[in-house]
Amino acid sequence: MKHITSVKHMMMGTMGVVVLSALSGCQSAPEEQAGSEESVTQNKFLVVEQQPNGKYIIIEEMPTTGPSRAIIKETDENGTVSERVMSEAEMKELADQEYKKMEEGKSELNAEPQGEGMGLAGTILAAAGGALLGNMIGNALMNNKNVQRHQDASNRSAYHRSSAGGSNSATSNSQKKSFFGNSASRSTSSSSSFGG
Amino acid sequence: MISLHNITPIDDRTLEQFGFGWHTDSDQSKYIADELVVVSDREAEAYYEAVNKLYDMYAAAAQHVIDNNLFFDLGIPFNLIDVIKKSWENDVHWHLYGRFDLAGGIDGAPIKLIEFNADTPTSLFETAILQWALLKHNGMDEERQFNNIYEAISDNFRRLVTLFDDPAEFEKHYDGWKILFSSISGNLEEEQTVRLLQQMAIDAGFETGFEPLGGVKFDDEGIYDSAEEPYEYWFKLYPWEEIAIEEPELATQLTTIMQNQKAIILNPAYTLLFQSKGMMKILCDLFPDSPYLLKTSFEPLKGIQQVEKRMFGREGANVKIMDVSGNVTESNEGPYGNFKPIYQEYVEFPKDSNGHSYQAGVFFAYEACGLGFRRGGKILGNMSKFVGHLLC
Repeated sequence: MKHITSVKHMMMGTMGVVVLSALSGCQSAPEEQAGSEESVTQNKFLVVEQQPNGKYIIIEEMPTTGPSRAIIKETDENGTVSERVMSEAEMKELADQEYKKMEEGKSELNAEPQGEGMGLAGTILAAAGGALLGNMIGNALMNNKNVQRHQDASNRSAYHRSSAGGSNSATSNSQKKSFFGNSASRSTSSSSSFGG
Repeated sequence: MISLHNITPIDDRTLEQFGFGWHTDSDQSKYIADELVVVSDREAEAYYEAVNKLYDMYAAAAQHVIDNNLFFDLGIPFNLIDVIKKSWENDVHWHLYGRFDLAGGIDGAPIKLIEFNADTPTSLFETAILQWALLKHNGMDEERQFNNIYEAISDNFRRLVTLFDDPAEFEKHYDGWKILFSSISGNLEEEQTVRLLQQMAIDAGFETGFEPLGGVKFDDEGIYDSAEEPYEYWFKLYPWEEIAIEEPELATQLTTIMQNQKAIILNPAYTLLFQSKGMMKILCDLFPDSPYLLKTSFEPLKGIQQVEKRMFGREGANVKIMDVSGNVTESNEGPYGNFKPIYQEYVEFPKDSNGHSYQAGVFFAYEACGLGFRRGGKILGNMSKFVGHLLC
């Protein structure tokens, strides 16, 4: 017999991130994905989870018009799970340190991934480097194959997985009809309701 | 007696930031209670089992209605019978989600079916997202809630492709089919409910679009957004019976589209059978010993307190409560008086210390997946409040 299942925000997908973003005091809610050029420097809201091996992966990622933020979910030796909100300044400091290591060839982002998960600083740099450190670094990270492979290996968010899909060209056909003329005009009255 | 746990509410601005704009009712009272109903794990399990069982009963009853041509008894418009049969024949017309409204379930009161909102259920945002946000906002354990709705509906979107196979196989089989989501324009609650479903579909891996109902285009070859982009699936938060009555030409058009296998409409047309309150009479005929059913008839019941409802009434409209002598003790007006009546044995809802009644709403998406409550008077209308819950 199956039993009831309760909620965890990892299961709440994108909406979970939107809600956590609002509750954690982000000034504005995340918005839909911007165009690719802007998305390099688009501020990010991340949910990062520590794995049993101590490494970190991104559970959710959303662009936001507010400052970048991250919720870090970690498990201590006793198995106790804690959550903390990381501010943009803290994220920037970590990303900056990791980028310097990259330049010196000492970051795990310099090599191909050895499985899922990275250190916290690498995780944040790979996902939000452009937003935290600026356009030039963002583009450099985006064009770095090893960084992208790390992202593919350690970023489970729908935002990262979703790539622009091809769209069929629209067909033109004057026979197509629309309906709901009366209902649509009724809609200005707040009393119209079709749910239940 | 309903036991309540006080919580700190989320302010309106924050609610609006995550898309919940209908926090205040027209009388300026708050729609979301700043309390949670305390539910035991055992009570939650009982709701889960009841709803899974009830869904199986509804499926058997739908087959019975189709086999015996009982559409008229259920008040089904004649111009939808073909689409209902067609949708029932093929599993690709997958039922995405529904909500069972129940009395009892608390403090040993037996769970009783009030009705099944199978076609266009709302309260989705409140139950799936908001009551969880209330736990997070109050620093409470997010796992102490019977609420797996987001994941369950996302998985059910994947089942549009995988059907009875593991929804994890979705990516292997998905070939770019798109879902168009529509609601009436100008109704924030309904649009946000649909946009939440759209987000679940995006998280499931689908390409999607949104188009208000008035902008959707149709021809024999399919369903299109206003830019004439074709879609393989169309989710409409608009009742099938309203299509039949208000837009009969569209009912004919949708029948053709389905016959040509050009698009799949969600929730499927057969959910109108489930939605008809007449089904509760059929359930009583087929499952007379079920502990979950209240006696229901197409004629007034003799010698018991009862409720008169209309086949496709919504939100407590056109409901009358009658005493054992048939005198009306409480009633709500509404626009559904033209639909046929049904008569259902009266049952008290569980109450809190202030005498408010609580109706449980349990969402179903392949299985029971989440619980929420409505609080109000004896008839729960559209001014009733949403109350989240906490497992203790």
